[in-house]
Amino acid sequence: MVDSPILELEKVSMAFNGKQVLRDVSLNLHKNETYGITGPSGCGKSTLLRVVNDLLSPTSGTVRFQGKDVREWGPQELRRRVVMVPQEAKMFPGTVRGNLVWGLNVHGMAAEDEQLKAILQEVRLWPIDLDGNAENLSGGQKQRVAIARALLLKPTVLLLDEPTSALDTDSALAVEKTINSLLSDYQMGVLIVTHNKEQAERFTSRVLELENLSEAS
Amino acid sequence: MQLDLFALLQIPEQYTAMLQRYLAAMILLAVLIIITKWQGIGIGNKLIVGTIRGTIQIVLMALILVYIFALSDLIVIFGVLTFMGVFAAYTARSNLERIPGVMRATLPAILVGALSVMAVTIALEIIDWRSGPGEFIIPMGGMVIGNCMVLTSLVIDRMWSNAQKQRSLLETALALGATPMQATELTIRESIRSGLLPNLNRYASLGIVSIPGLMSGMIIGGVNPLEAALYQVIIFIMIFLAGMIAALITSRLFLREMFNERAQLTVPPPEL
Repeated sequence: MVDSPILELEKVSMAFNGKQVLRDVSLNLHKNETYGITGPSGCGKSTLLRVVNDLLSPTSGTVRFQGKDVREWGPQELRRRVVMVPQEAKMFPGTVRGNLVWGLNVHGMAAEDEQLKAILQEVRLWPIDLDGNAENLSGGQKQRVAIARALLLKPTVLLLDEPTSALDTDSALAVEKTINSLLSDYQMGVLIVTHNKEQAERFTSRVLELENLSEAS
Repeated sequence: MQLDLFALLQIPEQYTAMLQRYLAAMILLAVLIIITKWQGIGIGNKLIVGTIRGTIQIVLMALILVYIFALSDLIVIFGVLTFMGVFAAYTARSNLERIPGVMRATLPAILVGALSVMAVTIALEIIDWRSGPGEFIIPMGGMVIGNCMVLTSLVIDRMWSNAQKQRSLLETALALGATPMQATELTIRESIRSGLLPNLNRYASLGIVSIPGLMSGMIIGGVNPLEAALYQVIIFIMIFLAGMIAALITSRLFLREMFNERAQLTVPPPEL
């Protein structure tokens, strides 16, 4: 690949209360690329995404987005471009529509219902009552709302933490297909944490396998 | 012959009946403590300490109240109110000792909220303070400050416990690029609403269910009942406004204790 990476991790380490969770993790993510992170439970996969999203600062090492250290970005500006979908799809109190546009609204943007319909079709959640209570959705539906909510921000880097864990195979494949098709539209790179090796092989171009440091030591 | 403890302690006769009543009320306190222990509410010690401390404070206050009520210099009166505000912020902190930085958020909020409303009320002569500045301003200020203390404590307690219990929702908001203010907006709104609720209930049932102390005191003190009643409505409006200002200031200041400059949540998960 000739273009420079949109996201670079250089020897990123993370420890909580003296307990090492990540050690010297380095990777490069390019646009139009889907990069997988796998490994056993407790190996720091989710922590890694939280570090990239700047919800946590690494104990050592550097994370660069578009060539600039993430600490030089304003946190909101960074997270609008490097958007994370956490493993647990949490809904804000209110309607499905309110949840979909939540991310846009905090950045002073809005979306027409047509846009919402289009994105919901992509994640196979259309038709749905946009005025329905988001809390009443099933786990799989919430997960798709969370992905759609992130995609509406047109991120440069999309961080997905076990994004299809609550979905059946068909829906999971549809979500993967949607994300793949949006890669070039959004000029986006995707970092995906998954424990599903098949998904990693099928969906990602490269995979980084983390080890559980507490078990290794 | 019955042993007269009060005579033995050489307590003047005029106080013995009162002290007997006070001691009898301790039976009620004991019942209260037993209930809290039985229900595992865990505020027994606070009630005991609060009773001792409260008794000393209020007795001292009663003894110097005569002098405080006689104050006529507005600057001195506002000095007394400032002292009360500082003490209120300190009390809020000691009741929320598990939470860091409480006083940094409550002190400016209580002082600005309560003193600004008192100053405007005086400047606009909404209360007839000239006939006895200390007599009017200090007790009203006390009510306003006390309410600001309750409301700011509640806002902080809610913000902190929500951040502990709903970490993932809060981080979902942050992960989408929300500012700490945007991420906690709903919690703040709810806590202000629930903090105002007891007073709103009292407000709604004013004169029918709740017979407020200020009005009763004024009527007993010989003030025209109509005037006393209108004063009570005024004090409620002052309480709401000051409480709202204090709650909004405290919520914004307290965000600094919950998030760092990278807008990362610094509130630890709840202890088991």
